[in-house]
Amino acid sequence: MSNNAWLIAALPLGAFALIALGARRSPALSAWLTILAIGLGGALSLQVLREIAAGARIEQSMEWLPLGHGLGLTVGFQVDPLTAIMLVVVTSVSLLVQIYSLGYMHGDNGYSRYYAAMSLFTFSMLGLVLANSLLTMYIFWELVGLCSYLLIGHWHERPEASAAAKKAFIVTRLGDFGFLLGILFLYWHAGTLEFRGLEEAAAAGRIPAAALTVGMLLVFCGAVGKSAQFPLHVWLPDAMEGPTPVSALIHAATMVVAGVYLMARTFPLLEHSATAMMVVAVVGGFTAIFAASMGIVANDIKRVLAYSTVSQLGYMIMAIGLGAMSAGMFHLFNHAFFKALLFLCAGSLIHLMDTNDLSAMGGLRRQRPITFIATTIAALSLAGIFPLSGFWSKDEILAAAASTNPLLFAAALATVFLTATYMFRLIFLAFLGNPRGQTHDHPEPLSMTIPLLVLIVPSVASGLLGTALFGNPFGSFLEGRAVTAEVNLPVAGISTAVALAGILLAWVLYGDGRVEASARLAARFQPVHTLLVNRYYMDHLYNGFVARIVLGFGWLSNRIDLSLIDAFVNGIGSTTISAATSMRRMQSGQLQAYAWAFFAGTVALAVVAALPLLMGTR
Amino acid sequence: MPPAFPPLYPITLQHGLILGAALFSIGLAGALTKRNSIVILMAIEVMLNGVNVTFVAFARQLEPAVLTGQVFALFIITVAAAEAAVGLALIIAIYHLRHSVQIDEANELQG
Amino acid sequence: MNVAILSPEISLGAAAAVILLAEAFSAGNLSRVAILALATLGIAVSAAFLIPAQLAGVPTSSFSGAFIQNGFTIYFKLLMLMATFLVLLGSGRFLAQAEGRRAELVALVLLTTAALMLLVSSTELITLYISLEMASLSTAFLAAWMKHQERSAEAGLKFFLLNALSSAVLLYGIALLYGITGQTQLNGIARELVGGATPALLLALALLLAGFGFKVSAVPFHMWTPDVYEGAPTPITAYLSVASKAAGFAVIVRVLQTALPGVQTEWVGLIAILAAVTMTVGNIVAMVQTNIKRMLAYSTIAQAGYILVGVAAGTGQGLGAVLFYLAAYTATNLGAFIAIVEIADRTGSERTSDFAGLHARAPWLAFALAISLLSLAGLPPLAGFFAKIYVFWAAIQTGLGWLVLLGVLNSAISLFYYAQVIHHMYMVPAPSPAPGRSLPTLVAGLTVAIAGVFALGIFSGFFMGLAETAARTLTQ
Repeated sequence: MSNNAWLIAALPLGAFALIALGARRSPALSAWLTILAIGLGGALSLQVLREIAAGARIEQSMEWLPLGHGLGLTVGFQVDPLTAIMLVVVTSVSLLVQIYSLGYMHGDNGYSRYYAAMSLFTFSMLGLVLANSLLTMYIFWELVGLCSYLLIGHWHERPEASAAAKKAFIVTRLGDFGFLLGILFLYWHAGTLEFRGLEEAAAAGRIPAAALTVGMLLVFCGAVGKSAQFPLHVWLPDAMEGPTPVSALIHAATMVVAGVYLMARTFPLLEHSATAMMVVAVVGGFTAIFAASMGIVANDIKRVLAYSTVSQLGYMIMAIGLGAMSAGMFHLFNHAFFKALLFLCAGSLIHLMDTNDLSAMGGLRRQRPITFIATTIAALSLAGIFPLSGFWSKDEILAAAASTNPLLFAAALATVFLTATYMFRLIFLAFLGNPRGQTHDHPEPLSMTIPLLVLIVPSVASGLLGTALFGNPFGSFLEGRAVTAEVNLPVAGISTAVALAGILLAWVLYGDGRVEASARLAARFQPVHTLLVNRYYMDHLYNGFVARIVLGFGWLSNRIDLSLIDAFVNGIGSTTISAATSMRRMQSGQLQAYAWAFFAGTVALAVVAALPLLMGTR
Repeated sequence: MPPAFPPLYPITLQHGLILGAALFSIGLAGALTKRNSIVILMAIEVMLNGVNVTFVAFARQLEPAVLTGQVFALFIITVAAAEAAVGLALIIAIYHLRHSVQIDEANELQG
Repeated sequence: MNVAILSPEISLGAAAAVILLAEAFSAGNLSRVAILALATLGIAVSAAFLIPAQLAGVPTSSFSGAFIQNGFTIYFKLLMLMATFLVLLGSGRFLAQAEGRRAELVALVLLTTAALMLLVSSTELITLYISLEMASLSTAFLAAWMKHQERSAEAGLKFFLLNALSSAVLLYGIALLYGITGQTQLNGIARELVGGATPALLLALALLLAGFGFKVSAVPFHMWTPDVYEGAPTPITAYLSVASKAAGFAVIVRVLQTALPGVQTEWVGLIAILAAVTMTVGNIVAMVQTNIKRMLAYSTIAQAGYILVGVAAGTGQGLGAVLFYLAAYTATNLGAFIAIVEIADRTGSERTSDFAGLHARAPWLAFALAISLLSLAGLPPLAGFFAKIYVFWAAIQTGLGWLVLLGVLNSAISLFYYAQVIHHMYMVPAPSPAPGRSLPTLVAGLTVAIAGVFALGIFSGFFMGLAETAARTLTQ
C-alpha cells in the first residue's frame, strides 16, 4: 500500500471532481461521496501506518520542470513515520468532521459547495503531508490556503465572513512570501528541494552556516503565517467566521498545524543552526503566552478556542525550537483530537443557541449533557491534567524547556495557568449557572453527537501512546528507534499544580452557580470560611490588578496588530496608479501620435544600437 | 556591348541611395504630419518607392546579372497596389460612417 | 521544386474556396454549423499533413531555399491551426449573426492562417515580406469586419495605416541588409555578415526590429494594439492576439537567429531593452483600464514583453522557452477571449464592472475566465507560471538577471488588475440575472482551451521537451 500512498490523497480529489462535475445537484450525494472518499483514505492510512511501523520507507518522484544543465525540479511523495502519523490524524479528524457536518450544515444553501471545498481541502492537506520536497509541499501549501479562504468565506453574503477570508488570505500570504524566498534561497545553495537531498547537503556542510540560518528563518516565515504565530497570528481569531466544523478541521486540527509539520519536516536542517533554533523557540514561547492572555478576555466561545489554538501551536513550535521535535509532534497529535472535540462541542452549543456569545449562554449542561461532559474532558486534557492525553505531551515539552531555557520554561508554565483559567471560564459560563438566553428545543442530530463521543476516546487516551507505561511507542515510531520516555516528576508536579490553580481561579471568578452553595458550606464548616474571605480577596485582586494587566496586555497586542497590518496593506500601489493614469493619456486615439511614437521608437532603437560606435568603444 | 554614348555624369550607387533615402524621408514626413487618410496612404506609397529605388540601386551595383533586387522592387510594387485597394476600401467604409476621411477625427478608441 | 511541401497551406486555401463556393451555390444560406464543419475539415487535413512530418524529422526545403519545413515550422503551424480552430469554435453568436457574410469571414480567417503559415516557413526575405503583407492586409479587413460600426471601421483603418508605415520602415531595413550582403536568403545573409557591426548594419537592425516590434506589439511600436483590440469584433481580437502574435515571434527569432547571429551582442541588448519597456508599460497601463478587451490588450503587450525576455536570452534554451511560452499563452489568451465573447454577448457590455457576480449567473464562464487570468498572472500550477519560469530561467543563465528581476516585479504588479476582474466576478453581488444559453460549440472551444491551460501547466516537462526539440531544428 505504501507504494501507492498517493491514492489516499487522490480519493478526496476524486470526490471533489465528481461533486464539481454534477453530483453537486444532490447535496446528500455530495456529502456521502466526501465521507466515503475520506473514510476509504482513513482505512488506507491505517494500513500505511502498519507498513511503516514494520519498517517500510517509500519515496517516489518524477522530473517535472527540467531546467537543463542537470538542474531541475521534481515532484513526488514520500512516506515515513512523520507522514504516516499526519495521514492518520488528517483522515480521522476529517472523517469525523464531515460526519458532524451532515447535521451541522443541514439545510445550508451551499451544502454541496461546502463538501466540495472540504474534499478539496482534505486532498490538499494530504498532499502537503505526503510531499517529498519543499516545492511539492509549497504547491499544496498554497492550495490549503485557498481552501481555507473559500471555507472561511463560505457564508460570503455576510460581510464579516468575506472580510475575514480576505484577511486570512492576505496575512498568510505575507508569511508565504518569506517561505518562497526561503525555498529559492535553499535551492540556490543546495541545488535541490527534496527533503532528503537538503538534509544530506546540510549534514555534509555543503550549505554555508549563515545561508542555512537565513534560509531556515525564511522558511519559518511560512510557518509563522500558516500556524498563526506572533506577529502573523491575527487572522486566526477572525477566521472563526467560517462554519464551526471548518474551524475544527482546518483552523484547529490540520491546516494550522502545517507550519509545525513544516518545521518538524525540515528539523534535520534546522538542527544545524543554533540561531534559527533560538528564534523559533522564542517566537513559539512568546506566542503561547501572548495568545493565552488574550483568550482570557474573549467572550466569543470560538474566539476563546482560537486563541487557545494559537497558544498551543506556539507550544509546539517552541518544542521544535528547543530541539524536542518528537515532543512537539506528539503534542500536535494529541491536540488535533481534543481541540477538534472542543470545536465540535462549541458547534453543538452554537447549533442550539444560534449565538457564539458566552454571556448569552449559561446552564446548558442540562440540555446538552453529552456536550458538557465532552467539553470538560477535552478541557482537562488541554489543561494538562493527569492522565489525559494533553498531560503527557505538555509534560514532555515542559521538561525540554526546563532543562534548556528557564525563561521559556517560566513562560510555558504561565501559559499552562492561563490555559486552565480560560478553558474553565468558558465551561463555567456556558454550562453552569442559570440559562441566560433562548435555545431551540430541537434535539441534536445523531450525526453530530457520534463524532463527539468518538473523539472523547483519543482525548483521553492518545497520550498513553507516548508514555513509559507502554514503552513510548509514539516516540520510538517517530524516531525509528527505541526511545524511552521519562516523566520528569518535579516538572509534572509543578505543571499539574499550576493547571489546578488555574482551574481554581476560574472557579473563584466565574463559578457563579456554586458561589452560594460554597458559602453555605463554609458557614457550616468554620475552617473553610477563611477560604471564602480569600475568595473575595482574589476576586478583588483580579478586578483591580490582574484583570487590568491582562486586559491591558490584550488591548495592547490588539493595537499593534491593527496598526501594523493596516498600514502595510493600505500603503501599496497608490504611486503606480498615478503613473498608469499619466501613461494612459499618451494613448490619445490620434493616429498621428501613434505614428510619431513609432518613429521616435525607431530612432531611439537606432541610437541605442549605434551607441557603442558613437562612444568609440568598438 | 557598352552604350554608344557614355553618360556625362555616371549614375552611381550613391545617387540611387540618396534619391531613395530622400523619397523615403519625404514620404515619412508626409505620413507623420498629414491628417487626411488618403494623403497618408499616398505618403506611404512614396516611402515604398524610396525603398524600391534603394533596392534597384543596390541590385545594379551588387549583382547586375541576378536581378534579385529588381524582383524585390517589382513585388513591392505589386503588394503596394493591393495595399492601395485595401486602404481605399477601408477609407470608403469610414467615409460612409462619418462623411470625412480626416484621420484625427477618428478617435473613438483611446485610453 | 517540391510543391507538395505546401500541402498544409493549400488545404486551408482549398477549404476557404470550398466554403465560398458552397455559400454561392446555397444562395447565401449556408448554415453556421456547415461552415464550421467545412473549416474544421480543412484545418484537420492541413494538420494531417504536418503531424506525420515529426518535429525532429529531417528538414525539407523547396523553392530554391525560400521555403522550409522543419520541427520549428511544424510546431508553429500546428499551434496556429489549433488557435484558428478554437477561435472559430469560440466565435459563438458573432458568427451566427454575421448575416450573409459569415462564409466570407471564415474563408478570410482560413486564408490569413495560410498566410501566417507561409510566413513561418519563409527563409528568404521576398517570400517573408509577401506572406507578411498577405496576413496583414487580411487582418485589416478582419478588424474592420463590422463596417457599419464606427469603432470597428476605425480599428481597421488605424491598423492598416500604421501597418503600412511599419512595413515601409521594415522594407527599408531589408533593403539596407540586402545592400550590405547582396543576399535575400537568410542563411546567405549570415554567411556574408562576418565583419561585425557597421553603422549601416546597425541602422538596418534597428529598422528591422521596429518593423517586427510592430507585429508583436512591443513598446513603443504597440500603440495600435489597444485601439484595434477594442474596436475589432472579439473573436477577431482573439485571433489577432494569438495567431498573428505567434507568427510575429516566429519571424523575429528566425531572422535574428538564422540571419543575424553575427551581431548577436547588439540585438540581445536591443531586445532586452524592448522587453523591459514593453512589459512595464503594458502592465502599468493595464491597471487603469475599465474595458476588459482593452485591459487584455495591454495584458498581451505585457506578455509580449515576457516573451521578448526569452528572445533576448538568445540561447537554444531561451528559444525553447519562447516556443513553450507561446503555446501556453495561446491556450490562456484564447480561454480568456472566448469567455469574454460569450460574457459580453450576454451582458451587452465589455466593462469590467459589469462582470459583477458573474459566478452566480454563469459559473463555468466565470471559472474559465478566472483560470485564464490567473494563468496570465503566472500562478502555479497553470501554464502561464511554467512559461514564465522557463523564460526567466533561460534569461538568468545568460546573465540577464536585471531583466528577470524586472519581470518578476511586473508579474507581481499584473496580479493586481487580473485579480480585480476576478474580484468583480466572485465577490461583488450580481445586479440582475442575465439568462442565456451558450452555444455548444463555444463551450467546447472554451473547455479545450482551459484544459490546455491546465495540461500545459501540469505536464509542462513534456511540452517543454517538445518545444525544445522544435527549437533545436531552427538553427540546425
